[in-house]
Amino acid sequence: MGNLCHFARFDLKPAFRIDLDDLGVRYRKRAREVHPDRFADAGEREKRQVLEESAALNDAYQVLRSAPMRARYLLSLRDGELPLEVTVQDPDFLIQQMQWREELEELQDSADLPALAAFKQRLKAAQERLNDDFELCWQDSARHAEAVRLMRRMQFLEKLNHEVRDLEERLDD
Amino acid sequence: MALLQIAEPGQSPQPHQRRLAVGIDLGTTNSLVAALRSGIAEPLADAEGQVILPSAVRYHADRVEVGAGAKAAAAIDPFNTLVSIKRLMGRGLDDVQQLGEQLPYHFVVGESQMPFIDTVQGAKSPVEVSAEILRVLRQRAEQALGGELVGAVITVPAYFDDAQRQATKDAARLAGLNVLRLLNEPTAAAVAYGLDQQAEGVVAVFDLGGGTFDVSILRLTGGVFEVLATGGDTALGGDDFDMAIAGWMIAEMGLSADIEPGAQRGLLRAACAAKEALTAATSVVVGYEGWQGLLTREHFDGLIEPMVARSLKSCRRALRDAGLEAHEVEAVVLVGGSTRVPRVRTAVAELFGREPLTDIDPDQVVAIGAAIQADTLAGNRREGEELLLLDVIPLSLGLETMGGLMEKVIPRNTTIPVARGQDFTTYKDGQTAMMIHVLQGERELVSACRSLARFELRGIPPMVAGAAKIRVTFQVDADGLLSVAARELGSGVEASIQVKPSYGLTDGEITRMLQDSFQHASDDRDARALREQQVDGERLLEAVQAALAADGERLLDAEERQAIQIQMDELRSLLAGQDQAAIEQQIRRLSQITDAFAARRLDATVKAALAGRNLNEIED
Repeated sequence: MGNLCHFARFDLKPAFRIDLDDLGVRYRKRAREVHPDRFADAGEREKRQVLEESAALNDAYQVLRSAPMRARYLLSLRDGELPLEVTVQDPDFLIQQMQWREELEELQDSADLPALAAFKQRLKAAQERLNDDFELCWQDSARHAEAVRLMRRMQFLEKLNHEVRDLEERLDD
Repeated sequence: MALLQIAEPGQSPQPHQRRLAVGIDLGTTNSLVAALRSGIAEPLADAEGQVILPSAVRYHADRVEVGAGAKAAAAIDPFNTLVSIKRLMGRGLDDVQQLGEQLPYHFVVGESQMPFIDTVQGAKSPVEVSAEILRVLRQRAEQALGGELVGAVITVPAYFDDAQRQATKDAARLAGLNVLRLLNEPTAAAVAYGLDQQAEGVVAVFDLGGGTFDVSILRLTGGVFEVLATGGDTALGGDDFDMAIAGWMIAEMGLSADIEPGAQRGLLRAACAAKEALTAATSVVVGYEGWQGLLTREHFDGLIEPMVARSLKSCRRALRDAGLEAHEVEAVVLVGGSTRVPRVRTAVAELFGREPLTDIDPDQVVAIGAAIQADTLAGNRREGEELLLLDVIPLSLGLETMGGLMEKVIPRNTTIPVARGQDFTTYKDGQTAMMIHVLQGERELVSACRSLARFELRGIPPMVAGAAKIRVTFQVDADGLLSVAARELGSGVEASIQVKPSYGLTDGEITRMLQDSFQHASDDRDARALREQQVDGERLLEAVQAALAADGERLLDAEERQAIQIQMDELRSLLAGQDQAAIEQQIRRLSQITDAFAARRLDATVKAALAGRNLNEIED
């Protein structure tokens, strides 16, 4: 069971566009079946198996819930494991990355909360555009390189999102 | 045809087969035990009808006192009376030195890094002290429920790290309790409320206790309690409010901050009373040893504002982690005695933009929720009725990498159970061993994180730097406890540990404590038997002495008198010792040797009576 496809765990076919509410319902149903609390009385061996099964389910849920992780997982299903960190050959996006970062640094200095909120909005819109683009090309083997590039962009924006959250925390003093 | 038996919801069809399980709230200030009875979860009372057991332990030379009596002695016997011990659970000596000025105890170093406290009964670890409290609650539950417990759910602050959780589990083990689950306090509170109100939606639980603060954001859906994020501070609570008031009193009285422990406890007690009075009153007269001062609620609010602000900051962070805005929270639940402070209530209401729920006694709600979960885990609920609690780890787990940096392997607020691996490699040619340093915390620098454990993976085949592939796997179980394994993928060399926290007890210490506690039970019995023998022996000595004085010269010859004297001296010296069996034997010996003497005295008395004369006259 340990190597079951993340999608199969939820009785879903591999897809990028998924209904997150429906995924949540499926997750809670499965979690009920395999949570260690249901096996408080079981033997050590069974307990260990249930623990692994439950952890694997949680892991699958976390991957499928996040667009960048889901994208990465879909590509890895086809191409095998993709390295997490690579030198990205994406000059256009590199320039944009630098702009985002500079902007974030300025926001840190100015501690301008409304501007930070606007920045977050733009970030979110950019993420949605990426999701749309990825959906259009990931199944097309001719556009494989593009799909990988988009997935890397999604990962970067996700990281930027975390940085925004850290900044919000620093400003919340 | 027999009628089908229909059971009430929440009730087992065969009540007599119900497996006894309890929920225990092991609090900083107060502890409680609760259980499900007739389908209703309620706290269990002691013989005097009290449900709250103050978390105070006083060590006497020959016994241990737990609860209200111990709490009352805090000022008169500060070194042997341990309160707020939860603040020391899973802590290292360094942490304690930071808290040091607030704690009057004499600390000593144990075998592990854990701080031991010197008492009249020797050095005690916080784990042992907590076990004393749990033992009393266990006995109370077994008496109230009339049987042995299959287990207990014990609550811990959601923000407790691995070391603090492990320490709590060790304490339960010492108290002879089977831990069904360590349950996060806010989650327990949500269970108590969720069941009561059939709630659905997003709930925030704000839990401010005596010494710890937690906030959890949960989504409730059809009996599933999914924790989205949790945050908090394991060193923030009502105790800090008391200290703030005590600090104000010291300043007002013009005392120096260096105060002896007894007076410190007295001040804190007066401060605590003032705090409680300010829940209902807008001002209170605070008195201490002849001094009097007026404390208004407004001034009190000012004193605690920094702490209230810290708690709100944790709430905002938890909301961010959950990806929610404050207004998306549909209900706010208040837990913990310190949420009775009006300023705390208004601050929480302002942040979430709604009035918090306080229907269930904030002191009892955690134990009640734990009891409900204990009932589920003991298998008393029917299929489909079980609750499902999906909790998270409160703090990120990771490893030390080159340059003293922490690499996160599992980020905070990840749902448990969880297993995750990370690959590392060697940095030197021919490197055959690798040190694995397990950390918990949010900061990047290793020195700012909590060190959970260090272990070594040895026997890596020599390769060029970067060629080995070492996978370190973290696994966190449903109690939130971590185990770590490391494996070199090429050779299959393996090393794994159940994380024994750096600030936990060593196995040796646990073994000794377990033996002590078994010993303790039989020690108690032995001590009583010894005292009884000693009393018997003393009585016998007095009686023989008196008889000798009265009739020794007349009824016994010198040799006989000397023989008795020898046996008496022997008994006297044994009575000063602890050997109960030897005392018992010597009592028998002395009785035997004086039997003849006693018989002669009786004889003489009878004769005298027959002759109508008294003994003295016979001699004449």
